[in-house]
Amino acid sequence: MLYIQLFWQFFQIGIFSFGGGYATMPFLYEIANKFHWYSTSELTNMLAVSSITPGPVGVNVATFAGFNSGGIFGSLLATTAVVLPSFIIVTIVSKTLEKFKTNQMVKGAVRSLKPAGCALLTSVGIKLLFTSNLHLFGTLLLVILIATSFIKKLDPLAYLGIAALAGLIIGHLNWIGV
Amino acid sequence: MNKNFYTIFKTFFKVGTMLLGGGYVILPLLTSELVEKKKWITSDELCEYYALSTALPGIIAANTAIFTGRKLLGTKGAIAAVTGMVLPAFISIILLAYLFSALVSIPTVQNIFWGVGIGVIVLLFLAVKEMWTKSVTDKFTLAIYLVCLIAALCGKIPLPLIIIASIVVGIFWQKYEDNKKIKEDCE
Repeated sequence: MLYIQLFWQFFQIGIFSFGGGYATMPFLYEIANKFHWYSTSELTNMLAVSSITPGPVGVNVATFAGFNSGGIFGSLLATTAVVLPSFIIVTIVSKTLEKFKTNQMVKGAVRSLKPAGCALLTSVGIKLLFTSNLHLFGTLLLVILIATSFIKKLDPLAYLGIAALAGLIIGHLNWIGV
Repeated sequence: MNKNFYTIFKTFFKVGTMLLGGGYVILPLLTSELVEKKKWITSDELCEYYALSTALPGIIAANTAIFTGRKLLGTKGAIAAVTGMVLPAFISIILLAYLFSALVSIPTVQNIFWGVGIGVIVLLFLAVKEMWTKSVTDKFTLAIYLVCLIAALCGKIPLPLIIIASIVVGIFWQKYEDNKKIKEDCE
């Protein structure tokens, strides 16, 4: 039963996540709340870990969730499940490529899917904002990092590095709960 | 270089290994490997596959690998490409998973992860900002954005349902706009 559920949940991500990269996040967040294969804070950690490990974020989290709930076999299953819809969909699209590109229905669907994907990601950001224990110094760190991104956008890894260092220092001073 | 299952797998495995920080660097990586070094496909083809991959559901890197693999060696090529692309991610996470549980119990590591969690929110914010400029371009797309956001925040509606609903609305809206345009052209 666990394996079927694991396969089905990650298969759905493969079908319904639009926009790449973090677009899998809303679904992964929902899974965390529903199935407890990993917690939401583990998910945030995973997201950070995936930016320093090879491969797409979606695959990384699928592997991690599968491993957490069903060992090596679970991770193999979840990873296959998240990629399988791509395989089916791309095969169909490849065969009807010219029609696909000029189809008005496809154009309409893609046009509204993009803002929908963006909205789902926004909702995850808002939920994370309210569930992380930011307190005073966390809020300060967040505001500073976002404010500086308007002046000069750094490499994603730089934000994680700075935030990790800040966490180390603030934690060392025992200021996290302040 | 010869195009067979093994060489395709090896090439994509290499790309998968270098794919750090999410899928955003995939296009330059694939251009260097497939277009410049191996000369298996043209830059135009690759860009088209990438553009299509972003419009389709699923992981963009996997979609692009499957498109390119198919072009190179049919279904066999697609399997070789996607396996190669995914395997480095799979292996590195399995290795890390063993370490992970031991690491998070250390207080210093917990502090670092507290900070990193805030960094992740910043990255989400930046991703949303970028998606926003590409997707919310008129009143219709703004309306879709707002309705989907409210629906997602209330937490009662399954996410796939929100996606399906926006596909249906998008198709009908496009039809409506096309019809309106035809009528205006006639008048």
